Amino acid sequence: MKALRILVSVLLYIPDRVTSLAGNVVTALIQIWSNKIRSLLTVLGIIIAVTSIISVVSMVEGFGSYVTSFLRGLGTNMMVVYPERERGPHGEYLRPAEMTIEDIQAVDAGATAIRRTSPVIFTRATIEYGRQQLAGIDTRGTNVSFLAIRNFDVDRGRFFAAVDVDAGAPVCVLGREVLRKLECDESLVSDFVHIDNQRFRVIGLLKSKGSFMGENQDEMIVIPWTNALKMYPQRRNYLAFYVEAVSEDKIPDAEGQLVRILRQRHGLQAGDPSDFGIFKQDEILKEFHTTRVIATSILAGIVSISLLVGGIGIMNVMLVSVTERTREIGLRKSVGAHRRDILLQFLTEAVVLATVGGGIGIALGYAICYIAGMHPDMVEFNVPAWSVALALGFSAGVGIFFGIIPAFKAAIIHPIDALRHE
Amino acid sequence: MPDAANNVETSSVTTPTRPCHAVAVPVIELIDLHKTYRVGTELVHALRGTSLTIRENEYVAIMGASGSGKSTMLNILGCLDVLTKGIYRLRGQDVSRLSQTKLARIRGRQIGFVFQSFELLGRTTALKNVELPLRYTRTRHRRQRAIEALKRVNLLDRAHHRPNQLSGGQKQRVAIARALAQQPDIILADEPTGNLDSVTGEEIMDILDNLHAEGQTIIIVTHEDHIARRCRRTIMLKDGQIVVDTGNGDGLPLHDRSVANPPDEAATKP
Repeated sequence: MKALRILVSVLLYIPDRVTSLAGNVVTALIQIWSNKIRSLLTVLGIIIAVTSIISVVSMVEGFGSYVTSFLRGLGTNMMVVYPERERGPHGEYLRPAEMTIEDIQAVDAGATAIRRTSPVIFTRATIEYGRQQLAGIDTRGTNVSFLAIRNFDVDRGRFFAAVDVDAGAPVCVLGREVLRKLECDESLVSDFVHIDNQRFRVIGLLKSKGSFMGENQDEMIVIPWTNALKMYPQRRNYLAFYVEAVSEDKIPDAEGQLVRILRQRHGLQAGDPSDFGIFKQDEILKEFHTTRVIATSILAGIVSISLLVGGIGIMNVMLVSVTERTREIGLRKSVGAHRRDILLQFLTEAVVLATVGGGIGIALGYAICYIAGMHPDMVEFNVPAWSVALALGFSAGVGIFFGIIPAFKAAIIHPIDALRHE
Repeated sequence: MPDAANNVETSSVTTPTRPCHAVAVPVIELIDLHKTYRVGTELVHALRGTSLTIRENEYVAIMGASGSGKSTMLNILGCLDVLTKGIYRLRGQDVSRLSQTKLARIRGRQIGFVFQSFELLGRTTALKNVELPLRYTRTRHRRQRAIEALKRVNLLDRAHHRPNQLSGGQKQRVAIARALAQQPDIILADEPTGNLDSVTGEEIMDILDNLHAEGQTIIIVTHEDHIARRCRRTIMLKDGQIVVDTGNGDGLPLHDRSVANPPDEAATKP
């Protein structure tokens, strides 16, 4: 019976708490609205902090998803294997490192986790067409698998075929950016250009892919690797190659297999370091992760300073407010307000003030992302829900932390002194 | 709620009748009240051994020059302050040395204040102002009770006006409604007409007279004779002691004459 009575009293108490909290929030909003400018200046720090959280987080996230989608475009299961000579303590090369077409063929044939391979010769070449001359254009000598491994498409003309590779045919496929820089249109297809003084027929154009981290993927010349070897014969024993694993989760298997095959073929002993390097996408991700950490720590710095400033502002204005409203506190106490009621009222006010600041900050953050996103070269920004929650949580936390002292000061005012206050 | 209710109930063990219509338990009982303040290094004796009994439905004026201790008396009667020495029983419950929390609860439930300068919350409506004490005592049906209280001061048509849209007299009527909302044991009015012109002041006094006629116990602190004359009993304070107490034998309201006991009879009761 007694337990029932306690239960009932608790159940009756809960809605009462809720309505009194709602009442406090309404009182706080009225108070904030009646001091608009003061409130706005007070929460400036919070606004700056929250704006930074929202905009920086969504930029980092935006770049993150861009990197991910770029890597997908790069070929999700791709690796690049290249000869790398072991270096001594002073950076000198210790012994020659070789990578021949036979090595690549052995990997292609022997590794079950590898779907396809493609030899590649990286150079920078000069391309000439008519009076136009472009120097230092990224040029790749490769085979037909390149298109599939790197997720490239040809949307005009054709890519070179196996016969072109076998014959070392002087044909090339150009990126759109090269075309633009040569000031040509698509009629360049089937016309001739000079690459490092060799005559090449343009047989196709790569579909545009956009730029990534300063590297424009559209500024590229692709030629058969056999032809590249004719131009740069010294590369014969120093080939690199692309590898595509059969699936994303087979990448470690593929890596293990190719390492085993190459080490065996190069006659390396168990303790010897490998004479080749493997470049995987997770290294791009690692690179990006570092950038992300830097951005996040800069953000943390801005946010903590402005939250501190904002918090002190709130504390200051709440102390003023308590003094201004001493008589009101006295009246409330004389009609039965407990210290707890007054404490909660002023604490609610501080939290509401901070949260309103947070709300303005979120709106500004969204605006900044929207405006920044209007630039054509910018990645797409998405404001993640967790950053909004984090921002609001931070502002409310600042409100509680810096509001507790003024609220406590209000709560302990003696009603007689308060009513006598002028 | 349970505390106050329990205390009233335990006290009613000694007095068989229920407190709300019992004459036997005085509303207010002060025994040898002392209050000392420390102002700087000096001790100020605001009240020195005051004893006083106020019964149900009395209408008392407390008068005295400034410094006579009447403000202190009001603060103590209103449970805003605690006493240094002595006993204060409110409806039989000893409230002399209660904690701030318990005093707040008593202020909310048993005492209605009316101040000289109204003390309304400026940014809310009359109705919300009247609801305020009910919010703090977590009373249910606040809106209903607030409307009833406004009806009693004849100000229902101004329920949704803010204080700055009301005249001084109307503001004071809202304040009286606020004091009434909780159906308190006593209404404590501190110079209720002090900020009003004489005509409006008379209106406010009419309202208080009516409330008294309806059975409300009212205590007014004033220094104006014509206000005091409308009350049924006058207590004059000087240097912290009662120097005049007219008692309420001469001016009892007609409908109450048969019920009320003379004060000396109560004093002789054990």
